[in-house]
Amino acid sequence: MYELTSVSKVYHSGTRTVEAVKGVDLTIDDGAWIAIRGRTGHGKSTLLNLLGGLDRPTSGQLKLDGRDLGRLSDAELTRVRANAIGFVFQTFNLVPTLSAAENVEAALIPLHVSGAAERRRRVAAALDSVGLADRARHLPSELSGGQQQRVAIARALVKEPKVLLADEPTGNLDEETRDEIIALMEKLWRERGLTLILVSHDGAVVRRAQRLAIMTRGHLAVKTTEGPTRGGRS
Amino acid sequence: MFFFTYLARELRRRLRQAIFIALGLAIGVGLVLTVTAAAAGVKNAQAGVLQGLYGVGTDITVTGAAPSPPKGAQGPSSGKGTQITMGPNGAEICTNGKCHALKNGYTIDNLGSASYSPISATSVSKIAALKGVTAAAGGLLLTDNQTTISATPTQPTSFTVDGADISKPKLGPLSQAAVSSGRAFTAADANKNVALVDKNYAASKGLKVGGTIKIGGTAFTIIGLVAQAEGSSPPNVYVPLARAQAVATSGPTGGNLKNDVNTIYVTAAKSTDLATVQHEIAKLLPTAQITTPSSLASQVTGSLTSAAKLANDLGKWLSILVLIAAFAVAVLLTMAAVARRVREFGTLKALGWRGGRIIAQVMGESLAVGILGAAAGVGLGFAGAAIINAIAPSLSATLTQPTGLHMMTPNGAISPTTSHTVSVPMYASVGLTAIGVAVVLALAGGLLAGAFGSWRIGRLRPADAIAKVG
Repeated sequence: MYELTSVSKVYHSGTRTVEAVKGVDLTIDDGAWIAIRGRTGHGKSTLLNLLGGLDRPTSGQLKLDGRDLGRLSDAELTRVRANAIGFVFQTFNLVPTLSAAENVEAALIPLHVSGAAERRRRVAAALDSVGLADRARHLPSELSGGQQQRVAIARALVKEPKVLLADEPTGNLDEETRDEIIALMEKLWRERGLTLILVSHDGAVVRRAQRLAIMTRGHLAVKTTEGPTRGGRS
Repeated sequence: MFFFTYLARELRRRLRQAIFIALGLAIGVGLVLTVTAAAAGVKNAQAGVLQGLYGVGTDITVTGAAPSPPKGAQGPSSGKGTQITMGPNGAEICTNGKCHALKNGYTIDNLGSASYSPISATSVSKIAALKGVTAAAGGLLLTDNQTTISATPTQPTSFTVDGADISKPKLGPLSQAAVSSGRAFTAADANKNVALVDKNYAASKGLKVGGTIKIGGTAFTIIGLVAQAEGSSPPNVYVPLARAQAVATSGPTGGNLKNDVNTIYVTAAKSTDLATVQHEIAKLLPTAQITTPSSLASQVTGSLTSAAKLANDLGKWLSILVLIAAFAVAVLLTMAAVARRVREFGTLKALGWRGGRIIAQVMGESLAVGILGAAAGVGLGFAGAAIINAIAPSLSATLTQPTGLHMMTPNGAISPTTSHTVSVPMYASVGLTAIGVAVVLALAGGLLAGAFGSWRIGRLRPADAIAKVG
């Protein structure tokens, strides 16, 4: 469970100060699906980075399962990212020289999963869950945008994280592929009991979430949508 | 396994850049190896020349101080030593003030210690007893000058004679001479008029085993011919030390050398003892010259020394410059590659990779490039050495030494010197140590490049690497 109390993030750029996130208070229950929407430059991705332990708040408390991420050491924060949080990015961020399977395997490296056979089994299962079992040996350049994003999702889920953070996961995809990806994420969310936090400015995407939060100039306003419930179909 | 898969894929992706960096390192390393090989070749050539003078296994050579020539203004009967005065009415020889007229056609045959003053033979055992000295042997390095009196003065003919201590065959110039025909000295020869002659000198003078050679007016039987290092400046003739002492005179002073040597060959127990031994000998023989092979090298002139300077100065600095350039290119290209992969590394950090693990990956890639550079550099080094051996002309080394003879002519006093020029073949060879150093240099270049790249990764915040401020 996430508990955010007066979380702010300030960036300094020379003499200029940018307050990207301002006093956010938010609680996200385990297994919830929350979408964050907002205009470009209003702090959505910054908030997502804070939730993912990629950055630290300038002030306030950001707790994941009772641990204040802002106070953890770099090594502890790295361990949290390795074990508990999966990321999906707008630009997929696959390593171009590694095959689909190897990209997925990269997420298991920090977990020190013992045995090549066990790693292969988990990688194959993850790729199968996103419908890409037959593309395991393909390089990213040999895959379509939708397939690359599926690989990225498999990479995020292969370590069986508690939280999945997605930053504009459909931003680079056409409508048809977007719908496929969102449907896939929803399916995985249902099946795996994930906490899904998704940033998008696409109304068609955020409408599928349980809760919608709007970021406006660093401020967050949350409202409950008529989105899906776990175990049922929207 | 994943480490190597990732490493290999990345190198393949940046193949041209990897080849470029490896090639830069290879050129630097190859140049270092080539210069080192050339320097080693020159050093070996120098050693060949010096061994001819001092013999294998000698660490320190002690010689009597060079005798000073008589002043030109001195009259023939006023000074000490042997002096020859030539004039339109014939010649006159004065030894220690006693003068005799010489007829035209008369040959003066004088064996003298021209270059070095005598040292008491008892000094040999004193030096042998010094701490740090494993062996010492005395010798007489002499010049036999033969001058034929004529109305028109000519340069004397001369050859070098080594009075060798045949009880210590491992020290001195004779130690590196191999008998090519006849036989070597035996203990029974110690007091016999027998000689070993350099086979090249023998060929040029028509001397053969069983024949005789006049040395200091005494006939010596040639018992063998010896082959000596081509690049050395070996004595022309060897005789037993006792006979040399009996026949020779001590140069200008004209005294006998019966209880003297003029050279002492010393071997130290350890190279680190050299300075101490040198110091102790200096205390024992304050006026003697104490020389090591390296100090003798400064007396050698000719293209050998030019080549040594070229290899040591220009070659060294050229290698350093190329290495610095190669390192700089490797560092800049690696940093540029890291900059292009910021998003990739940020993603890996987001996946939970520790900074150290990413740095190890980059260092591994750089090290692999360094290994490629080292391998190619060693190949280039061998090629460079082969090219030098194929095109390098033979080097020459010239040693100029006084004959010890001082002649008065109508045009004034002359003190003839002998100049011995030898052609020294240079063989550039790549040694194991040089290869080791070159490989370490290439790997250091790779690691240096990786370290700079890693420094950038270390400063990378994952949020900056992967995300825009949304």
